[in-house]
Amino acid sequence: MSIGLLETGSGYWQAIIWVIITVIIGIGVLWLRNKGKEEYKKNTNQTKPFLSGNPELTKEDSHVGASHIYWGFTEALKHYYQPLVNIHTGNINDYSGWVVLVMAIIFIIVGVS
Amino acid sequence: MSGGSIIIFVLKIFAALVIAIFGIVLGLFCKGIDRKLAAMMQSRVGPPIRQPFLDFFKLMIKENIVPDNAVPWIFNGAPILALVSTISILFYIPFGPIPALLGNSGDLILIAYLLAIPAIALVAGGFSSGSTYASIGAQREMVLMMSYELPLVTIIITLGWRLNLAYPGLKVFSLAALSANPIWGLVGPLGFIGALLLLFTLVIVTPAELSIVPFDIPEAETELAGGVLVEYSGRNLALFQLTNAVKMVVMAALTVALFFPYNIAPLFSLSGALASVIDTLFFFVKLIVVIFFEATFIRVAVARLKIDQASVVYLIFLSAIGLLGLLFIAMDYII
Repeated sequence: MSIGLLETGSGYWQAIIWVIITVIIGIGVLWLRNKGKEEYKKNTNQTKPFLSGNPELTKEDSHVGASHIYWGFTEALKHYYQPLVNIHTGNINDYSGWVVLVMAIIFIIVGVS
Repeated sequence: MSGGSIIIFVLKIFAALVIAIFGIVLGLFCKGIDRKLAAMMQSRVGPPIRQPFLDFFKLMIKENIVPDNAVPWIFNGAPILALVSTISILFYIPFGPIPALLGNSGDLILIAYLLAIPAIALVAGGFSSGSTYASIGAQREMVLMMSYELPLVTIIITLGWRLNLAYPGLKVFSLAALSANPIWGLVGPLGFIGALLLLFTLVIVTPAELSIVPFDIPEAETELAGGVLVEYSGRNLALFQLTNAVKMVVMAALTVALFFPYNIAPLFSLSGALASVIDTLFFFVKLIVVIFFEATFIRVAVARLKIDQASVVYLIFLSAIGLLGLLFIAMDYII
């Protein structure tokens, strides 16, 4: 059967077969999950977030801020990111200069080729 | 669809259910062996091999707590999505002489995408927990995933590209084609070194895929008290544990299919059903050996890295090693 076979020349994928099989396995997994215990004690200390016994200050502070979401990745590549950050001076003259410079490079490349 | 097609379709669905159950049981068994071997390496007796099964059944009878701060539908849906997507990968991977159930319906590139779904589900589940520890764990899982994708894709592209040079008409990302034409037989001495570098890259990517030491930073029990899984309990945690067990089989089976697809029966001039049985048993032996080197040995021998160190390892060092492998294989072809 080759219903909905997507071929890209090298790769191929029959998405509809994957969807069908995933739905069937999903039903099986849901059945397995429903065999487990569902109950717990709602609105007790059991449902408070685990903070090693410390009180939760505010809900907002319980999350990783957007500015830190890629920490680790940006730290690993700081030698790449830092020069880019430094280039962003906020001065319109600098940005205009970059446009002129990049345009000049493109014209040289186009002219040479 | 004709009558014959419907029968084949029903048989495939039945086979999928059998493979799913078998994958879960095999995964838990492999986890048991992994724990036993790790204990032996540390001069401990360790738990019995059946311990992961007991852990699963114990979790199923424990309370399934949903925290006050959680987004319930994401919190409960994440473990289901993770397990379903991981099981679905099993249908695209050959098990020794047994061809993949859906080998003609998806290739290695699809597997690379499917491998990302459990990690994404874990991230979604962690962020939806509404807990500080879980949020930090989810953030780390996301960074780790972003870091190991490049080396993983380098391996896939290199193997497909080299096979395409040897057999231009072939579906080069098909695991059946890659298993039938192992990289070792396509290259000369320089390419052999390149293939070894690619194998090393896959061996180091696997611990991050499985969230084990030294790349278990998203969970980090001693630091984040379980991190991304800190708020999970009962049946939800049981499903995540099953996901991890099945993923261990998936990664090991993928390594075997890409780098060690050889069978043992031809050596003894065996054929027919006996050859299939011997080759299937040999496949399971290879699976255990690969799990030992990709998971057990590494997690016992090395301490946990920090998230930025792990990111450097994957993004810079391992990507460089993978690309060096690609370069060696390219030079081998040119020279």
